Amino acid sequence: MRTALRIVGVTAAFGIIALLAIIFIPAGRTSPVTALPENYQPPTDAGARVAVAADCAACHTAPNGLPFAGGRAIESPIGPIYSTNITPDTQAGIGNYTLVEFRAVLYDGVRKDGTRLYPAMPYANYRKMTEEDVRALYGYFMKGVTPVAIVPAKTSLSFPFNQRWGLRMWAWVALPEAGFSPYMGDPQLDRGAYLVEALGHCGACHTPRNIAFAEKGYDSRSASFLTGAMLQSWPTADLRARSSATQRWSNAELVDLLTTGRNTTKAIGGEMALVVEHSLQSLQTEDVDAIIAYLKHIKQERDGTAGRALRREPLATAALLSEGLPAIGLGARLYLDNCNACHFVDGRGAPGVFPQLDRNDLVTAASPNGIVAVILDGTSMPSTAKRPERLTMPDFGWRLSDPEVAALATFVRQSWSNDAAVVSAAQVKAVRSSLTAKR
Amino acid sequence: MSRQAKKTDVVIVGLGWTGSILAMELATEGLQVLALERGADRSTVPDFAYPKMIDELKYGVRNGLMQKPRDSTLTVRHALNDAALPYRVLGSFLPGNGVGGAGVHWNGHNWRAMPEELKLRSYVAERFGADIIPDDMTIQDWGVTYDELEPFYDRFEHMAGISGKAGNVGGVIQLGGNPFEGARKRNYPLGPLPSTLNGRMFADATRKLGFHPFPMPSANASAVHVNEYGMQLGPCNFCGFCERFGCINYSKASPQTCILDALKRKPNFSYRTNAEVLKVELSPDKKTATGVSYVDEKGEEVFQPADLVILAAYQFHNVHLMLLSGIGTPYDPRSGEGVVGKNYAYQMTGGTTLFFKDINFNPFVGAGSNATVMDDFAVNQIDFRKEGFIGGSYISSGQFNGQPIRSMALPRGVPAWGAQWKSGVKEWYGHSMSISSHGSNMSYRDCYLDLDPTYQDKHGRPLLRMTFDWKPNDIRMTQFMRGKIEDIAKSMNPTSSTSSYKGEGAKYDVRPYQTTHNVGGAIMGANPNTSAINRYLQSWSTHNVFVMGASAFPQNLQYNPTGTVGALAYWSAAALRNDYLKSPRPLM
Amino acid sequence: MGKPPASTWFDLAPRLPSNRRRVLQGAAAGGFWLASGGAALGADVRAVLAAHTRTFFNPEEWVFVLAACSRLIPSAADGPGALEALVPVFIDRQLSGDFGNATDWYMQGPHVPTANPMLGFQSPLTPAQIYRAAIPAIDTWSRQQAGKTFAELEIAAQNEALRTIEAGKAGLAPEIRDFFALLLQNTKEGYFADPMYGGNHQMAAWVHIGFPGARGSFKEWAEKDNIRYPLGPVSISGSRG
Repeated sequence: MRTALRIVGVTAAFGIIALLAIIFIPAGRTSPVTALPENYQPPTDAGARVAVAADCAACHTAPNGLPFAGGRAIESPIGPIYSTNITPDTQAGIGNYTLVEFRAVLYDGVRKDGTRLYPAMPYANYRKMTEEDVRALYGYFMKGVTPVAIVPAKTSLSFPFNQRWGLRMWAWVALPEAGFSPYMGDPQLDRGAYLVEALGHCGACHTPRNIAFAEKGYDSRSASFLTGAMLQSWPTADLRARSSATQRWSNAELVDLLTTGRNTTKAIGGEMALVVEHSLQSLQTEDVDAIIAYLKHIKQERDGTAGRALRREPLATAALLSEGLPAIGLGARLYLDNCNACHFVDGRGAPGVFPQLDRNDLVTAASPNGIVAVILDGTSMPSTAKRPERLTMPDFGWRLSDPEVAALATFVRQSWSNDAAVVSAAQVKAVRSSLTAKR
Repeated sequence: MSRQAKKTDVVIVGLGWTGSILAMELATEGLQVLALERGADRSTVPDFAYPKMIDELKYGVRNGLMQKPRDSTLTVRHALNDAALPYRVLGSFLPGNGVGGAGVHWNGHNWRAMPEELKLRSYVAERFGADIIPDDMTIQDWGVTYDELEPFYDRFEHMAGISGKAGNVGGVIQLGGNPFEGARKRNYPLGPLPSTLNGRMFADATRKLGFHPFPMPSANASAVHVNEYGMQLGPCNFCGFCERFGCINYSKASPQTCILDALKRKPNFSYRTNAEVLKVELSPDKKTATGVSYVDEKGEEVFQPADLVILAAYQFHNVHLMLLSGIGTPYDPRSGEGVVGKNYAYQMTGGTTLFFKDINFNPFVGAGSNATVMDDFAVNQIDFRKEGFIGGSYISSGQFNGQPIRSMALPRGVPAWGAQWKSGVKEWYGHSMSISSHGSNMSYRDCYLDLDPTYQDKHGRPLLRMTFDWKPNDIRMTQFMRGKIEDIAKSMNPTSSTSSYKGEGAKYDVRPYQTTHNVGGAIMGANPNTSAINRYLQSWSTHNVFVMGASAFPQNLQYNPTGTVGALAYWSAAALRNDYLKSPRPLM
Repeated sequence: MGKPPASTWFDLAPRLPSNRRRVLQGAAAGGFWLASGGAALGADVRAVLAAHTRTFFNPEEWVFVLAACSRLIPSAADGPGALEALVPVFIDRQLSGDFGNATDWYMQGPHVPTANPMLGFQSPLTPAQIYRAAIPAIDTWSRQQAGKTFAELEIAAQNEALRTIEAGKAGLAPEIRDFFALLLQNTKEGYFADPMYGGNHQMAAWVHIGFPGARGSFKEWAEKDNIRYPLGPVSISGSRG
């Protein structure tokens, strides 16, 4: 009995000491992965290019805000996280950061004052950045960006998520090795891998996460990497299954989608629209080609949940809608009353303007939350140099009840050649309340 | 005392079709361009979004997208000795308002002028003899030829994604197009829209009579189109809510669907809404403008200095601003001297409705430019001396909408109310089609615009005054068309038909809607004594003021004006870019 | 009183002069609907009209508008009448809003209400003011002609009265000469406008003529010849008929 108590006591003491250590011992900062000379000069414009490829603006520039002055609310499962001012202003921004401190933000998620960043900042991915790019980016944010003396809103999450020291343990289990080692055996594929896995931090949204909220793999050698995930309630696309849109599309269609936010069958809205607008449209052509070559290369010979199909003859739905008989059924009736004007009886929309619903991976995703959210709230394509028009689908949430949205979403998920599960009114209700909460 | 704003290179008054085109062209040139729009900002979503746009009462009847007479109107009289009264309630014409202007609410009929129309006086004189021109008819040549404008027509058509079938490509007549049109370099960017039943019945009937039907050149896209700015149109879905409405579907060419999102990306372009220009400010010698004065959204008066002033407001407002600002000499109808306000003209229209007891036309299946047309009685097809009038018309059958408050054609004998009206609307809704004449309107010595001596706008400025009435020449023209249309109608063997055309002695009535093709008042031409602007749309008197729009038309075409307005805008922009900007001066 | 003819549910109040004010005020020109026996109206419509909280009309005007609308689009036979379509509710709301107040119109003087009608509306009065002035003027005229207000007349006499007013022969002052045109236009608007404005109850007027309402999507129908479109209407709010 006594022995047992002693063991408990000692364990508890160690636990407390360990905890205090976690809380109070200053965070370690990862060293450079390559030793560059002190006077290393990155190529001209390299910093701006890295900033574009890393899409810093998507989070650190608020809607209608000044570049990199922060203040955008980033939705997370634990509450909104506000992006910080990363302009070189010495008070409001990061003008006082040394290179070591700057690198620690990118690699370790550790700020100048030693506190931990929430992983809304994708340092788990940026950690793979090369030292050359770290240097280039540092130079850009110190000298190439206009200082803005505006302090954005502070992130304030509820307990226990406001205890940032917990993130240290998270970092132990979640972070991969720092730096990027080419492994594809082909310069273009390795460039693509670097852009996708490191700078583009695509995995942050497209790779499923484990119970500790860490990405299940940080490169294509992991079978889970880029196989689609739930971003909040939104299902992100599986980029690797042979049935996925990414793998079905031609390279030209992928170029269009990534650089203009639209292609012949699909349109990009929501968070990904920011990626297109702030990052992808400005990449150099060879980088876009590298990304696409890489994505095609990491295809997996399996059928994902999206885009699978062919339960029905597509023409049967078109004929039903075209006849427009009164006994058509609620889902079809709602389609005619709300969707047909743009997406048409064949569910094919119009190339580049109205996305195709037939075999659309958002429509047929295992989770209906994405398509339900689009029906409720509408969505907009990004404005890009090549395709400037912000083509927008209006919101229908005010016009349709939960059971109506469920019937409509079920109809589009089970029409033409689509074959996805029924949507319930309860699922719609949940999405509606999450969208309402967001507003 | 007004606030003085920071100087800009270019200030553009009005952000509709021509304002957007000029802004794009001049911003591409690298100039700082500021557009001032007196109405509200408007985007497809949310402002035209389905289903709230599909509201006949709000937009079709109460004219929700139009200029409110309370904010801006004019007075009207029939003759020089009458007292003019305000156009208090919208009726006969519907000037647009807000970003996109009338380019938002048009039906999308997109035409070129005929080569003969652009040199009308010369054509009449050379072909038939000048003696057939009535003394009071003041028609003129435009100062620009069709061949000169052709590349700019072409550019506007491709920018706006026009659907249609060419009739004359490089002088080669194309089967199924308009064989009487001027030669065009190439076909329309998109093929024609599908046609509803009425259009095909009309095509069959007119073909049997030896005429040449063809699809209306349409700014409702028949398929996807991407234009020179990367802007996109989607296929029209025949929603039946086009004219008076903003397009719910990105299908109707408008500044919103064809230009604005691309223009807004340009860092050297900016625009202000709810900013109404009161006056163009001139230098002491009046030879140049120094900028414009406007009232901003807070009601504060602002002086906006600029090197170049583009008037791109609606026809009436361009003329109004010129008169208020002292740009050019006001026209005097008694002496015939002066130029600003001269040659106001309208559009002569008429039509026959055909009722078919056993045919369902489903009239709500409509598009603004869903029509079949024949041009066999166009300006260049008529012997003016023989027929006794100068002018012409296209004849068409369209199905644009079946909105029941306004589009409820009833045969003779059905009363306007009561039990028989109620049974009549059930019996006849969807059982009629129309054949219409859309004809020219000549200009006359006493049809003009000036400032009203009595009525003022909300800023205390005198209202514009219109003096206008129908003239015998144009009534003879429409009666001629009536005969032709009634023959076609008869050959189609309807259950019954009704006709509505202006007859002898007809007076201009401002109440029923006719058309928003008001033209003239700041007309273009080759001579500073007879026109307000030169062939490049540059003010003769004030060389850094350019005046866009249908105010430049010396008389009205037999066609809807937008195609020509668009072509003239690009033509003027080319003169600005290639010549004027290098050396600002009178170009002629 | 025997079984009243079809129009006489209006009559209860006006025919009892001593009770007139009490009935009109107490029952708010709605209660008497419920008391009427012979109306062709369904109970639901009668209830809606009776329960309508007026935003513009006073009791006398309301009685007039109910009577006039039911003559312009009568209830009998196929299809809804103006009352079934709740047109009076529509007009009441329109007159208390921007339309009634001529918010968009140029209303500065001087006004020349006697002008040539081709020069358009020239009255100094707003539509709401025109209704307010014209209704008592018509009732006065009607009493002079027939000893009864308009609403008290038999159906045939009401129709005759409306024809006389329409022809401009009821002696209305120039300021209110457009009243009949306004009333007829507003009645048709209330009949065919989207139900969100208070009329076209349950989209019955759209069903009556076969107009599909706010669907706005017919691409596949452009080339279908002479096939009656089968699907019922949808309203802006999404209700289906």
